[in-house]
Amino acid sequence: MLQYLALASILFAIGIFGVLTRRNTIGILMSLELMFNAVNINLVTFNKYIGPDNLTGQIFATFVIVVAAAEAVVGLAIVLLLYRNWRGIEVDRINLMKW
Amino acid sequence: MNQTLFLIPLFPLIGFLLNGLFLGRLNKKLISLIACGSVGLSFIVGLKMFFQLISLPENTRAIEEILFTWIPSGEFVVSFGYLFDPLSAIMVLVVSGVGFLIHVYSVGYMHDDPGYGRYFTYLNLFIFAMLTLVLANNYLLMFVGWEGVGLCSYLLIGFWFEKKSASDAGKKAFIVNRIGDFGFILGLFIIFWNVRSLDYNEVFVRAPEVFALGGGLITAATLLLFLGATGKSAQIPLYVWLPDAMEGPTPVSALIHAATMVTAGVYMIARSNVLFMLAPSTMTVVAIVGIATALLAATIALAQNDIKRVLAYSTISQLGYMFTACGVAAFAAGIFHLMTHAFFKALLFLGSGSVIHALAGQQDMRYMGGLKRHMKTTYVTFFIATLAIAGIPGLSGFFSKDEILWKAFSSNQGSIWIWLVALFTALMTAFYMFRLVFLTFYGQERMDHHTKEHLHESPKMMTVPLSILAVLSIIGGYVGIPHILGGGNQFEKFLEPVMKGVHHGGEEHALASSGHSAGTELTLMFGSVALILVSIYLSYYLYVKNVALVGRLRNSVSGIHKIIYGKFFIDELYNAIIIRPLVGGSLFLWKIVDVVLIDGVLNGLAILIGDVSLGARKMQSGQLRRYATVFLAGVVIIIGYFALR
Amino acid sequence: MTDQNWSILIPEIFLFIWALFIFGLDLGIKRKNPKILGYSAMAGLTITGILLAIFNGGILFKGMFQSDQLAIFFKVIFIGSAFMAVGSSFDIASEKIRHHRGEYYGLILFSTVGMMFLSSASELITLYIGMELTTIPLYVLAAFYKDDKLSVEAGLKYLIVGAFSSAILLYGLSLLYGLTGTTDIVTMKINLSLVFLSYGKIGPGLILAMIMVIAGIGFKLALVPFHMWAPDVYQGAPTPITAFLSVGSKAAGVVAFARIFVNGLIAFASDVMKPLDWGIIVAILAAAAMILGNITALRQRNIKRMLAYSSIAQIGYVMVGMVAASELGIASVGYYMFIYLFANMGAFTIATIFNDKTGSDGIISYSGLSKTSPIFAAYMSIFLLSLAGIPPLGGFAAKYLVFAAGIQAGYTWLVIVALLTSVVSLYYYANIIKTMYFSAEEPTIKIHPSFPANLVLLISVIGIILFGIFPGPILDWALESAKIFAF
Repeated sequence: MLQYLALASILFAIGIFGVLTRRNTIGILMSLELMFNAVNINLVTFNKYIGPDNLTGQIFATFVIVVAAAEAVVGLAIVLLLYRNWRGIEVDRINLMKW
Repeated sequence: MNQTLFLIPLFPLIGFLLNGLFLGRLNKKLISLIACGSVGLSFIVGLKMFFQLISLPENTRAIEEILFTWIPSGEFVVSFGYLFDPLSAIMVLVVSGVGFLIHVYSVGYMHDDPGYGRYFTYLNLFIFAMLTLVLANNYLLMFVGWEGVGLCSYLLIGFWFEKKSASDAGKKAFIVNRIGDFGFILGLFIIFWNVRSLDYNEVFVRAPEVFALGGGLITAATLLLFLGATGKSAQIPLYVWLPDAMEGPTPVSALIHAATMVTAGVYMIARSNVLFMLAPSTMTVVAIVGIATALLAATIALAQNDIKRVLAYSTISQLGYMFTACGVAAFAAGIFHLMTHAFFKALLFLGSGSVIHALAGQQDMRYMGGLKRHMKTTYVTFFIATLAIAGIPGLSGFFSKDEILWKAFSSNQGSIWIWLVALFTALMTAFYMFRLVFLTFYGQERMDHHTKEHLHESPKMMTVPLSILAVLSIIGGYVGIPHILGGGNQFEKFLEPVMKGVHHGGEEHALASSGHSAGTELTLMFGSVALILVSIYLSYYLYVKNVALVGRLRNSVSGIHKIIYGKFFIDELYNAIIIRPLVGGSLFLWKIVDVVLIDGVLNGLAILIGDVSLGARKMQSGQLRRYATVFLAGVVIIIGYFALR
Repeated sequence: MTDQNWSILIPEIFLFIWALFIFGLDLGIKRKNPKILGYSAMAGLTITGILLAIFNGGILFKGMFQSDQLAIFFKVIFIGSAFMAVGSSFDIASEKIRHHRGEYYGLILFSTVGMMFLSSASELITLYIGMELTTIPLYVLAAFYKDDKLSVEAGLKYLIVGAFSSAILLYGLSLLYGLTGTTDIVTMKINLSLVFLSYGKIGPGLILAMIMVIAGIGFKLALVPFHMWAPDVYQGAPTPITAFLSVGSKAAGVVAFARIFVNGLIAFASDVMKPLDWGIIVAILAAAAMILGNITALRQRNIKRMLAYSSIAQIGYVMVGMVAASELGIASVGYYMFIYLFANMGAFTIATIFNDKTGSDGIISYSGLSKTSPIFAAYMSIFLLSLAGIPPLGGFAAKYLVFAAGIQAGYTWLVIVALLTSVVSLYYYANIIKTMYFSAEEPTIKIHPSFPANLVLLISVIGIILFGIFPGPILDWALESAKIFAF
């Protein structure tokens, strides 16, 4: 079990690292997907060890996948808008509003 | 029971709503009718209730009307009710009575102002809030009124907002007051969580059981309440807003910053006398702060040239007196002085308003003088008020001030030092008030030619209230003639049912205090009167005679006589020994303590917070990745917090 | 008690179908009558409110969905804020978003459905789904002005930070699930107590989970330090959406917080657990929010940004009641949110109307508003004074209750911070009032709002004054709703 949890936490950390360092918006969205998938690994692992008869964790993971997909859709749509308005998708350029 | 109590604050509220909702659509006659009429009606109802109150037996003199339950939840029950007992009766009569006169006066004073309707809207709202404050039957409702009068004061100080100084003064008043309010509400919390109620009746009955005499909790609570009072009533260290508040129209200064609102702190402490008596150390603080304020403000008043500023510092000084009275457990004397002060100080302000009106806005006394000949009524009434504030026997101020002086001397909480400082302050008061009178009404006309030609007495709308107030300033004191002069001190007896915290022995007490030695009391009384007369003469000598001498000197260069030299020499001596140190000290206090130290600390705080704000804005860099980093950093820091525990 | 009381789902189902209906209606009416969509959205929300009054009380899906008093109380706030957001959108609907009105209103309703589910959730999966259903439509709405760079930037920032926080929240929830073996909040509480009783301490995994959940919900609440997105998003998003974000979405965060922490992790707040108490950490965050929010708001020139910082501070006050974790505490939080609904929606509605007329959000352009539109200046003053907590407006009673709860629970220092910062806050609220009333400049703008916007303003003003003077009914109801937690 520990291996799985360690894998999940490593994946999660990579995801966080990606979000914080990628300049490309698509890259950030991909890193976010990594984080969600780390959570899914967690949920499925716990489900296996808590009780295989009870599917709560599996169901939770399924919902997470659905929601993550929805979030990605909205995210990509916004990236399209970004490209239309800025002719580029580097997040660092997008700071009209500050202070 | 016939419920009529709620009518008292209701009338000004209706007036406020009518004038506010139809702002700019009514003509001036109607506005003034609504505004004055509503306050007048309040006064009449107040008077009716007062007689109803008197007809009750002494121990049951309290009429309470609970309109509805305001916050009804679990143990947190606050009712919305009004309480009419001797203390609030006096306050209601003073507020609505003096308020009415000032409303009438304002009709004349503000006649040509473009903000006429707005002015009366605010004024009516103020009266409503003030009446709520004094009629409330619990602390929370009192706090509502307390904040309400603060808001109105802010609006009215900044009434001429085109002037930057006026809107700044308004802001200063508001902010300084909020510091006091912060203390007030904290004090209420302490009371509530110990007594589980904020109703006066319950708090005052249960407080002696809940709080230990002189215990830390009650001391903290009363000190916090007192902090609230120092904000509203302009005491050290929060008095700085009041002189600036003179930027408002003069009737506002009379109503809010002399007669009514600034006395709310005194009222609050007198109302809470049961609590304050439980905390002797707080009482000491109150007395010391009060007397120190009285002294400081009086000293500063000596060196001011702006007529309204002199009166403002004088108000602060007189408020200090009232707090001193409260601090030596002479609450009734404090309220007594509050009442007489409301009469003569309102009169002084209105009189100065009349002067300013005649001089087309000039407030500097160096450009006044000789007005006696041009403004008979104003002069006479102003002079009466000055006699009253100076404490000349026969006028109201004498009785109340002497009562405070005597209590400061004789009361258990008092001491001879407080008495000495109070007496010295009284001498200075007489001096600077007469200086004001002499500079304004006597001597040469020093205004420019154009203004001089247009000198005129104010219209009837303004002089009639002046006259009425003058009468009140004379007779107002006769309700409280002390025992020693053959009176019954009706005033103190009337207030007795409210002052549950002070242990009374009824007549016995009166005898005992005269037993303190009637001779002492009389000696002190006459001694102080004599000293006050000397002080007035000194003022006369310096500001009337001296001026004439200087004038003659200038005219006849050849007439150099030894006597004149001698007199001049004495003058210089006076100047060197008395005036210059006093003026110097007073300038020091004003320029250094007031302006640099206290204003500096407050302004510095404001600037500091502003700078921090600018810095805090810079954290918001607009960089998305920075935001995520801060987010994560937050998580990591919290984890670190737990890891290191 | 029947477990299959389907009728309690009727309000949510109705609102969902109504949202779809509005999508369809937009295609059907071909933009002939632009107002009909807005009115039908308002009608739908009103009907939902009525349905809510009829069908309530009960549980569904083995307790995954509860229609208790707390849920109802907050659902009323959600519906109210959606109603007001729709009401203040009429002007922008006829101008800036002409071609997507159906989606606009429909998404607001979807988001409201999400909040309603969230408030009824007594179990982590439902809670998570409700939260996402709330947030995802809001991402779209924030970026709704497709050709406005600010709006798109707002959408992007909201989305990235939102998804980031949602991932962290999920990780926390997965740990909670793994450590307690259940997703049901009440069972979780029991299991936690058992673990605590048998081992005498709580392991680091659970603390990690707790912190991650605080961070995830802290994002919705815009609690410091999870607040960085808020000012930018508030500024860039269409103003009615900003208002909806600042009230509806925040209230959703509040109810989620109450469900998870006050109900589920209450064991952490006991005296035994004092060093590992979530209360202390939330108290520190609340203090930080009040200080940072109020101080930063001082020097803002854009009214939406200023209100953003002000709402960061306001959530700090709400959390004072929350950390008290007592009946009075939760009730005061409910009451606070109720008054906040009126005051904040009102203030933002005025900002919306003003922006429609002038195209400006600058505070300075409000100069002299009292001369041309005295009623609006008066409305705005009432909203701001209520936010500042001046009696007798609702904000005063709300602050008083929250502080009272804080003192009662022993958080005296927090209440002192709150009082001090509320003194600071007065400065910037009063500053706007000063600009409107005491400005020598000659104003040129006169405001004529549409009928629905007027209605929203009127409801808000009446609500603030009425419930400020008579807090009784709302407070009683809030106390009733707080009874669902066992203290």
